[in-house]
Amino acid sequence: MTTKPNIQAVANSTDQPAIPDPFEPANLRLDQSFTETVAVKKLLTTIPVRRPNRQSFFRVHPDQAYREVFPIIDLKDDGEEYIVVKSLVPELATEIVYKQLCLAITRQGTVFFLPLRLPGPDGKDMEWWRSLREHAERAQTRWIRVVPNRDLGAYEAMQAADNLGDPEWPDMGFWDLIKIAFKEYLITDVNHPVIKRLRGLA
Amino acid sequence: MLTAFREVVVADFEFTAIPGNRPIPVCLVAHELKSGRQFRIFEGEFGPAPPYATGTDVLLVAFYSSADLGCYRALGWPMPERILDPYVEFRNLTNGLHKPAGAGLLGALVYFGLDAMDAVEKKDMQEAIGNGTWRGRYTSEEILNYCESDVGALERLLPIMLPGIDLARALLRGRYMAAASAMEHAGTPIDVNMLARLREGWTNIQDQLVVAIDVDYGVYAGRTFKSDRFEAWLAARGIPWPRLESGRLDLSDEAFRQQAKAYPIISPLRELRSSLAELRLNDLAVGRDERNRTVLWGFQSRTGRNQPSNTKFIFGPSVWLRALIKPPAGHGVAYVDWSQQEVGIAAALSGDPAMLEAYRSGDVYLAFAKQARAVPADATGTTHAAQRELFKQCVLATQYGQGEEGLACRIGQPRAVARELLQFHHETYKTFWRWSDAALDTAMLSGSLHTVFGWHLHVGEAPNPRSLRNFPMQANGAEMMRLAACLATERGIEVCAAIHDAFLVCAPLDRLEADIAAMRAAMAEASRIVLAGFELRTDCHGAAIVRYPNHYMDRRGHVMWHRVTALLQQTDQQRKTA
Repeated sequence: MTTKPNIQAVANSTDQPAIPDPFEPANLRLDQSFTETVAVKKLLTTIPVRRPNRQSFFRVHPDQAYREVFPIIDLKDDGEEYIVVKSLVPELATEIVYKQLCLAITRQGTVFFLPLRLPGPDGKDMEWWRSLREHAERAQTRWIRVVPNRDLGAYEAMQAADNLGDPEWPDMGFWDLIKIAFKEYLITDVNHPVIKRLRGLA
Repeated sequence: MLTAFREVVVADFEFTAIPGNRPIPVCLVAHELKSGRQFRIFEGEFGPAPPYATGTDVLLVAFYSSADLGCYRALGWPMPERILDPYVEFRNLTNGLHKPAGAGLLGALVYFGLDAMDAVEKKDMQEAIGNGTWRGRYTSEEILNYCESDVGALERLLPIMLPGIDLARALLRGRYMAAASAMEHAGTPIDVNMLARLREGWTNIQDQLVVAIDVDYGVYAGRTFKSDRFEAWLAARGIPWPRLESGRLDLSDEAFRQQAKAYPIISPLRELRSSLAELRLNDLAVGRDERNRTVLWGFQSRTGRNQPSNTKFIFGPSVWLRALIKPPAGHGVAYVDWSQQEVGIAAALSGDPAMLEAYRSGDVYLAFAKQARAVPADATGTTHAAQRELFKQCVLATQYGQGEEGLACRIGQPRAVARELLQFHHETYKTFWRWSDAALDTAMLSGSLHTVFGWHLHVGEAPNPRSLRNFPMQANGAEMMRLAACLATERGIEVCAAIHDAFLVCAPLDRLEADIAAMRAAMAEASRIVLAGFELRTDCHGAAIVRYPNHYMDRRGHVMWHRVTALLQQTDQQRKTA
């Protein structure tokens, strides 16, 4: 024989709890809206600065607050682009080109900055540059991909036949996104290794 | 927690359980915890009702209670209205986690660091009681004492477990154990004459089956399945097949099952392999009342679904064997299932508008193809059958958590095609995928997921993201099944069995249509409760309704059944001739 467990009626209880009714299951329903109860968001820690490959459809953010012109040093051999702070621009004028950086996103949801080369100080423009700017303008409202055509000397755009819906843009401001993209690609003084290299000092 | 109850009764039956038959109660020991009254009743002493109070303010506590409730039914006792099953609650508390000594009473005691000496199963006595050979070997006092030791163990366990039990929802689970006992009590009607013929001729039939079926494949040498021949057969027909890391073909039944969905030609071969490897006709549990009956093992799987023995249950993997189901004279049976249950649950719980629209269209796969703009808006299953099939396989692949490689294999197309299909799914059902991601995050952050009625899956070591993502659909589907089983059995419908997302019901012919309608209404109601108002469709038409003297037939087992019966006739004739 076992001892009696410690389950006793509560003496003189005036407010006994109600007995749950398993025959009213609708009252027992627990929430399943995980999206509203879990606070997890995708963290953007890397934002590439590039032209998308020829297979990738992409869109450009239609809000002009998400594009800006920057002085850039373009290391073509390394595939790297550096923003130069305003104070160094006069000193590095010969090395600098101006590019408009537009926030863009692929169909797969990868956020990137699309660099659009602007005409040079002499007004010289290239068909490669101009065609890409034109296609970027179109990409504000349509999904496109761009394909270089050497015979044409320009980019061709392939537009998705269907309206595939709008992308989901990151809920961050432009400058926060720029900081992520250029955290290691910002030239703030003339002793930067890139400047030394361009001057033959390193 | 239990103060609101007038009586709390901890009870246990010992009973004889001949396979396939209803239990025969041998004794009952019950302790009423509030008053300290104790009851020891042996066979011959059972009255028309339990010796303790009944009603909504009386709690029955029993470990794996559907067995005890089966004894209630055998005795004609009224069902208890509030049931707490510590087995179910222990499963819920530890689901997904390591249990050092299993999920039985002994395992629960060990888990909580309680003395388990009393609960050690006395195997000889237990077997003797179970198979009805205890008379003359054990006295009633010995059997009652044995029974009482389990009640004592349960009494020690209860106060330890109570603080961790969500009583309101635990009682709902207890309610299901009563429904499970009703289904076990009913059982599935079987053509026992045909079963006897099959059992008698099975050894010969197996050899002939190999010869008859292998004509179309050429993959057997005697009774041995030759994988190199199968590989050549697949290559000749351009059928892709999943492979193991070693590079060899994956020859598991699961691989055959999945491939048979995409390539129906595989079905007979799968049925043959399953029949040769797993089918033990003598294990099929059929009682004297010509009903297949076995323990349903509710809450046994991680998703909370039933997990009855594959070999004892007529709804095991050999689907052709279901043709043995035959309603008794004057009766009919009906197989009622939810239509696209998993997609419906995913759509409703995630609130994805596109997925809801696809479900409401009645053809999820074609709707998906239209939403992805892969077919025109006026496409039908006939005009765009191939495209619909591709999108169907994509939906199924996402349900099983398959990636592009698995889908490519299913559809026999390059990975790029599979990748595009999956991309379509992600783009079309963005809200669903956000919700699915959040479910996975919830599991990994909080350590568990739960259903609408609090069935938990705990994240143990080496969690499987696919299982975690799939849990809300599968486990809420199980909640729906359980609730529908409660509603139907409590309304007097004879539910013979629950099969994943379906029920088999039996009724006299003059009531069959009405009972089918009542079953469907119960399933619809259950879906509305689980899905906060969203109603899932049910199917029950054509071959799903069978009237005596016809046999039930699962379309997947049609070919195999006719082969088997033809061989059976040949064998009978040869025997007569001899």
